[in-house]
Amino acid sequence: MTDTFKLPPVVLRLAAFVGLLAVIAAVFQFFAPAYLSNGNLHALLRHMSVNGLAAIGLTFVIVVRQFDLSFPGVASLGAMTLGFLLATGYSLSASIAGGVAIGLLAGIINGTAIAYLRLPDIVTTIATGGVAIGLSYFYSNGTSISENFFMSGILDLNDAKILTFDMPVVILACAAVAAGLILHASRFGRSFYATGENRVSAHFSGIRVKAYVLAAFGLCGAMACLAITLLVASSGAANVSAGSQLLMPAFAAVYLGAALFGAPSIPATLAGTLLMSAMLNGFTLLAIPYYYSDAIVSTVLIGAIAIFDPKLTATLGNLLRGRTAR
Amino acid sequence: MTVLSENVTTGRSRPDFETFFVRYGLFLLVLAAFLLFAWLRPTFISAGNINDMLRSASIAAIMFLGLTWIIAAGEIDVSFMSVAALANMIVAGLVAAGYGWPLACLGGLLAGVVFGLINGGLVAGFKLPALVITIATGGLAGSIAAAIGLGTSISLSSTGFVGSVLHANIGIVPLITVVVAVVYGLSYVIQEHLTFGHYLYAMEQNRAAVVEAGVPVNRILFLLYILSGTVSAIAGILLTADLSSGQPYIGSSYFIDGLTAVLLGGMALKYGKPNVIGTLAAVLLLAALLSGAALLGWTDSQRQIVRGLLLLFGVAVVVWARRKNRAHI
Amino acid sequence: MATVLSMRQIEKRFGVVKALDGVNFELEAGEIHALLGVNGAGKSTLIKILSGVYAKDSGTIEIGGAPVELGSPAAAIAHGIASVQQHPELVNDFTGVENIFLGEEAGKPGLGGRIDRKAMRLAAQKLLKRFPIEIDLDRRVGEMPAVDREIVAVLHALRREDIRILILDEPTSTLTEREKASLFQLMRSLKAAGIAIIYITHRLEEVFEIADRFTVFRGGRNVATFTSRAALESGVSIPELMLDEKTGDIFPPRTGEAGGEVMMEVRGLEKKGLFSDVSFTLRRGEILGIFGLVGSGVDELSKALFGVIRPDGGEIEIQGKPAILKDPHDALKRGIFLVPGDRRTEGLTLSKDVVFNTTLAHLGKASWIGGFLRFGRNRKAAEELARRVALQPPKLDRPVSAFSGGNQQKIVIAKGLYRDSQIYIFVEPTVGVDIGARATLYALMRELSKKAGVLVISSDCDEVHGVADRTIALYKGRPIAHADAAPSRDQLLAAGIMGVRS
Repeated sequence: MTDTFKLPPVVLRLAAFVGLLAVIAAVFQFFAPAYLSNGNLHALLRHMSVNGLAAIGLTFVIVVRQFDLSFPGVASLGAMTLGFLLATGYSLSASIAGGVAIGLLAGIINGTAIAYLRLPDIVTTIATGGVAIGLSYFYSNGTSISENFFMSGILDLNDAKILTFDMPVVILACAAVAAGLILHASRFGRSFYATGENRVSAHFSGIRVKAYVLAAFGLCGAMACLAITLLVASSGAANVSAGSQLLMPAFAAVYLGAALFGAPSIPATLAGTLLMSAMLNGFTLLAIPYYYSDAIVSTVLIGAIAIFDPKLTATLGNLLRGRTAR
Repeated sequence: MTVLSENVTTGRSRPDFETFFVRYGLFLLVLAAFLLFAWLRPTFISAGNINDMLRSASIAAIMFLGLTWIIAAGEIDVSFMSVAALANMIVAGLVAAGYGWPLACLGGLLAGVVFGLINGGLVAGFKLPALVITIATGGLAGSIAAAIGLGTSISLSSTGFVGSVLHANIGIVPLITVVVAVVYGLSYVIQEHLTFGHYLYAMEQNRAAVVEAGVPVNRILFLLYILSGTVSAIAGILLTADLSSGQPYIGSSYFIDGLTAVLLGGMALKYGKPNVIGTLAAVLLLAALLSGAALLGWTDSQRQIVRGLLLLFGVAVVVWARRKNRAHI
Repeated sequence: MATVLSMRQIEKRFGVVKALDGVNFELEAGEIHALLGVNGAGKSTLIKILSGVYAKDSGTIEIGGAPVELGSPAAAIAHGIASVQQHPELVNDFTGVENIFLGEEAGKPGLGGRIDRKAMRLAAQKLLKRFPIEIDLDRRVGEMPAVDREIVAVLHALRREDIRILILDEPTSTLTEREKASLFQLMRSLKAAGIAIIYITHRLEEVFEIADRFTVFRGGRNVATFTSRAALESGVSIPELMLDEKTGDIFPPRTGEAGGEVMMEVRGLEKKGLFSDVSFTLRRGEILGIFGLVGSGVDELSKALFGVIRPDGGEIEIQGKPAILKDPHDALKRGIFLVPGDRRTEGLTLSKDVVFNTTLAHLGKASWIGGFLRFGRNRKAAEELARRVALQPPKLDRPVSAFSGGNQQKIVIAKGLYRDSQIYIFVEPTVGVDIGARATLYALMRELSKKAGVLVISSDCDEVHGVADRTIALYKGRPIAHADAAPSRDQLLAAGIMGVRS
């Protein structure tokens, strides 16, 4: 048996990633000289924090080979819960905990329906996402909430700095390290991957596969609400459509990362998020309206899936090898 | 020896309460919803309200026709509502720019066909995962729609010939409803009596068997995505006239409705298999819900929750009915 | 009778393995011809060549006296050869009629044809008139009993009128006794209609019941062809014909230390419709073998012993303590490890490397408190295990999918060694494994048996007989021979394929 397509080692993939990043940076630097300025890099990384957190949560679900389309709706519900708790006068930490707990609960509901009641993942999460959006209207009839925000100190989540790093970046880094340790350096990560790659053999190896599917959805819901907390902190208000902008960048980051590094993982997702944010930030800097950048995100997503696909990768790989050989 | 029973007496048509409930429950639900709303708010069954309901239900029914068969064949399309929004904005943009309605409609239709081709090519041709592909193409269509209006809606002063067609009535029934009824009737024939429809359901259950029998499965899938793109575009064009404007974000309100209609409709008649008659009934239910909820003063969010729960309920019933069906093999 | 098919000097190689070595085979019109042989004897390869799935390396095939090339399944059908797979593909929610004519509902190909249900029913009626059999074709296939599904698949294969040769691959393996009768009735009416049937089976008594002639395969050659009557009258020993003479050298010597501590005691284990009344005792220091054909319930038995399926009745005692196995997690904790029959779907995570797979069944051992993996130690452990099982090549970073079948099996065993279990259950341990690796695997089993109880479950009679200290045969879910006896090879084979008590 011979390998049909030898995957290039990690170094090559890393080089490809750095190369891509350099190309993006060079292009934007050319058109907008402020791109690589200190201030903009901070903005870029803050932007990356929100999408990165959501994408990290989604990574777990993709690793166990399921889909979650509910996290944008759940994030909206989390944002409104957070805003409501702050406006009613709860402390910052209690409010954040409340928002994240709502996300965790929604994820657990998804996971129970899918892993234990064996409902189909796509439609179930679309429905629960819809319900979550509906529920998010209840706090304020759909108007945005910003009372007490200044007093509560939530804005510091966006503005504070630890050493030279912005608070959101620190939060993302902590979350990424924690998620990375779980997924890549612990027995639990092994079980997540085993569940996704071959559920039957994982079951035969004594892994409680249903519990891991449940956990993946739970983490995805909680991380989406943590992400939205940062978004609320940066915009200074919670509103019911906050979550909808998470869907595409998160999917694009996970798939782009997986395409670059061969499989979904936390570093791959971070790399994917960084690439997406580098592009989106550049477009913002050039004052290109959001609706164009959405088009870019979706095009990148289509490209990433095509590259992620093993059949197409193999063909592309053969083409590339043929070219270097010549 | 030769036993081909004269009357088809199988487990399926055994007259017990549960099977009856699953097969016809949706129609009863529609009836119950109409009666309930009529009782609570008599204006619900006024001629004007019926007329409005039928019109909006007809547009939705057109949009969900392709989706019904795609899900019946075991695939998914979550770009349909964004394609409708794109067609809606293209028409509005072209009319506002002075190109006239006929040309504008052609433009909208073309966009639908193009997105159908893209989806079909990537899913049926390259065999890429349908869900993520249609998330991405839907995003692309949605952002082009937004870009056309530079992020806002385009309002129109006239609705052209599309408006006249849309608002033509036969008695209290809109003409468009009659057209939709005819289209759905034809679709029913295609679904039940032509090989195309026959293979849809076979594909969903055992694609290997269908491929082995020499059926061009990929061509079916390709056609389905083109159909879905086209009917979504037609619905988008009608929406332009209905709202006398182009609304770039009109899609999102049809997203959950579409999936609810198809999956809830799957309950009816065919035991959890999406089918055109079921979709039609479910669309009526959703239209009644929208109108009734407005009359009762429900908020959008309450309606949204009801729709989400209906979808969950539909999925649960479908899964349960099928599992039960498989269980007594 | 006229010879309808004649195959001469057919050869087929897979890599270095010669699957068919100069096979000659003749089939007469309207006969039922059974193919017999142990796994790997060449029967399946022959029928796959005949149905156009494999291409032969050399030799000639003649149909009705004219030489033909069967390059594809479509070409085979065009020459009048239809085959029914062991597990036919059917659409459950469609009726029998709809399944028979799947793809030909409209009289013309294409997607726009109008389904002519009346014509389909007429054609179905015509089929039933040609081949009289009792079946309700208006039922959904999903509601049909196994035999009716089989009949639908046969009729699907025979919907074209020009089919002259029908291949049936172990059609009875999942049928009950009464269902079998109804399939045989169909086969007789096909025969009466002049269709020649090639029929693969492992069950000898069926051969005498239904087949006119049979051909025995061994080691890629056809060794004998008899008419059923002549075989009955002359009293020739078919098991002896089926078994290879030169075996034994790949099996490790028996240690003769049987009689250690009781590791597992099973009494009256039963799962309705699959197996019943299974009792045995497994001791430390011995290998217990269970021989059973595909469909005899052995695979399900192994899963019941590992907690994958719950038995309906009976008791399992593990090291003297009664145990109810909730799931594999539970079974592993109680010291049972299963080397499953389908290693690619049940035993391995193919896309991951050797270290990932070897440590997967005991992640507790592979990690510190808090669940963090001990990378260095796990790698060392995997290295050592790879050496112990003689993994070739010993490259731990390769995905498991890149290894050969035998080496994949070694990785599953390494996974079991890492778990340090007290009871090892091997199911079909050497399917798809070449002869060199087989010797290594058998030696490993023997080595394991020094510290643990080893149960080997297989449909390969030679393997069970060669490696085990004691053997049982399972026939249609029931144990035949007594566990204390060590029957001879043909006794064991006879018990497993005919249900004959020794």
